[in-house]
Amino acid sequence: MRALVIDDSRAMRRIVSAALEGFGYETRQAAHGQEALDVLHEGYLPDLCTIDWNMPVMDGLQFVAAVRSNPAWRALTLMMVTSESEQSQIVRALAAGAHEYVIKPFTADALRDKLALLGLLPEEVVL
Amino acid sequence: MTTLDTGERRRSADARPLITALIDAATVEAIAGEAWIALVGEDEVLVPVPAELPADTLSAWVDVVGPWTGTVVLTTGRQTAADLTRALLGDAAPEMLDHEDVADAFGEIANVVGGNVKAALRGSSALSLPGVGEAPAVRNPDDVCRLEVLWRGQPLVVSVQGALPALPVPHPPHENPHPNGASL
Amino acid sequence: MTLTTTSFDWVRQLVHRESAIVLAPGKEYLVEARLLPIARSMGLPDVGQLVDSVRSRPSPENTRKIVEALTTNETSWFRDGDPFTALTSTVLPSLLGARGPVDRLQIWSAACSSGQEPYTIAMLLEDAMPNAATRVSITATDLSREMVERTRAGKFSQLEVNRGLPAPMLVRHFTRAGNEWQVSPGLRRMVTASECNLAAPLPRMGPFDVVYLRNVLIYFDLPTKQAILRRVRTLMRPDGWLFLGAAETTLGVDDSWERVVIGRSSAYRPLKGA
Repeated sequence: MRALVIDDSRAMRRIVSAALEGFGYETRQAAHGQEALDVLHEGYLPDLCTIDWNMPVMDGLQFVAAVRSNPAWRALTLMMVTSESEQSQIVRALAAGAHEYVIKPFTADALRDKLALLGLLPEEVVL
Repeated sequence: MTTLDTGERRRSADARPLITALIDAATVEAIAGEAWIALVGEDEVLVPVPAELPADTLSAWVDVVGPWTGTVVLTTGRQTAADLTRALLGDAAPEMLDHEDVADAFGEIANVVGGNVKAALRGSSALSLPGVGEAPAVRNPDDVCRLEVLWRGQPLVVSVQGALPALPVPHPPHENPHPNGASL
Repeated sequence: MTLTTTSFDWVRQLVHRESAIVLAPGKEYLVEARLLPIARSMGLPDVGQLVDSVRSRPSPENTRKIVEALTTNETSWFRDGDPFTALTSTVLPSLLGARGPVDRLQIWSAACSSGQEPYTIAMLLEDAMPNAATRVSITATDLSREMVERTRAGKFSQLEVNRGLPAPMLVRHFTRAGNEWQVSPGLRRMVTASECNLAAPLPRMGPFDVVYLRNVLIYFDLPTKQAILRRVRTLMRPDGWLFLGAAETTLGVDDSWERVVIGRSSAYRPLKGA
């Protein structure tokens, strides 16, 4: 499994990447939506993108909309990982095409639970 | 005439609520406590005991712009901010932390606490990207919700403080992206 | 401010005796932080005085509060999701076929903890049956009064809703209340919570069509397991369904059950004539 971890905080990118690597993922990182789009255009197609909402240059919601508008990226699973946690915002992100939503703060267990729901947990990981 | 003036003043105060009417210290404590347990470590509890901050402090904050406008500020000793960064990064922490590591990690904690404080208020608001440095001044002592805690025995303050005059709303909530890229 | 070694050791022994959980040396600050709210609620200035007070005047109520404060953990929604998949894929269609169109369905969540399991069941049934609100009643029980009260309130922290609750279900069935999320009034009306000690004679309840008794039996010895399964059986409909935890079984414990494999999980049904 491959994941692209998108967050403007270096610390948060490390935390999310370390958790995903613990579940057997190979990860790459991007500091904002545009950098993430560049990675996808390069041809790196992950199974999962974890996406912060508030980022400079291009925010997470704009990134979700851009991915959803490109049929070549239909297989990507998009999971918001953000401290934005108003109910209306979660609705908005799901409507824009995000598949799941993890509210910061989260634990590695929370990421694992959501990946299990999405069928994106490699089989050998013991729940 | 005097009675009328008082009424007018009260009504205009009602239009822009004070933070104390929107959130209490117990809620801020619950939010900060969850952030610490989830991100810093499951035994990393915040103990609600007031203590004096050291002379050399660092602050991290995010602005909230909506029905209530202000800033969520975390302040602690510079050394404690560095310890917090190491705890947050765990095994991924570099041997030598530079200022940018600390600013990034402390800023992210402010973002997590601020995002949840914002969502606990009524109505929709916008959140800024984090700032790190010297704490923004308290503008209106009545428009502050202050929480003092100890983390690993070191003092840390979370201050949810109103802006005076109120920060202008940059754009109606949920329509346009924030000028610096942050959205709502 | 600092807890004495004697007080800390007393708390460690209490927690180990009551919950088999070991508090390592050096966790004084954890004890301080978790017990301070209890001390304050009793009008005591610090945890040391709380310990002194409970030691000099033992009370089951205060003992339980201390143990719960130190041992409570978040549980996941859809925890080990297979028994919930089985509910909507197999159990519900079977029950709806066997019952009349207005017969009530009664479900028991027998160790409901803070409410994740009964509300998971309620959400699934509300999404699967248009008239769930009038046809389904879910009885949620737990040994702990605090857990029963939490289940009744239906309020969950940010960390709790993050644990395996699908985001579409969060926004459909919950409303943000300050820094917590509260289950919708409709789902709360479907769930009735009360205290119940499974190891003692059970109150009059049921008869239940479905019982979730998960991750409970593992804590008891064989005779108690047998007694619990016998008592649960008397509260179930003859064609009811029992779900146990993934590591639990009736096999070799009580032979009056038939094991039925549903997808990746197993259910147990009362054997006729047993």
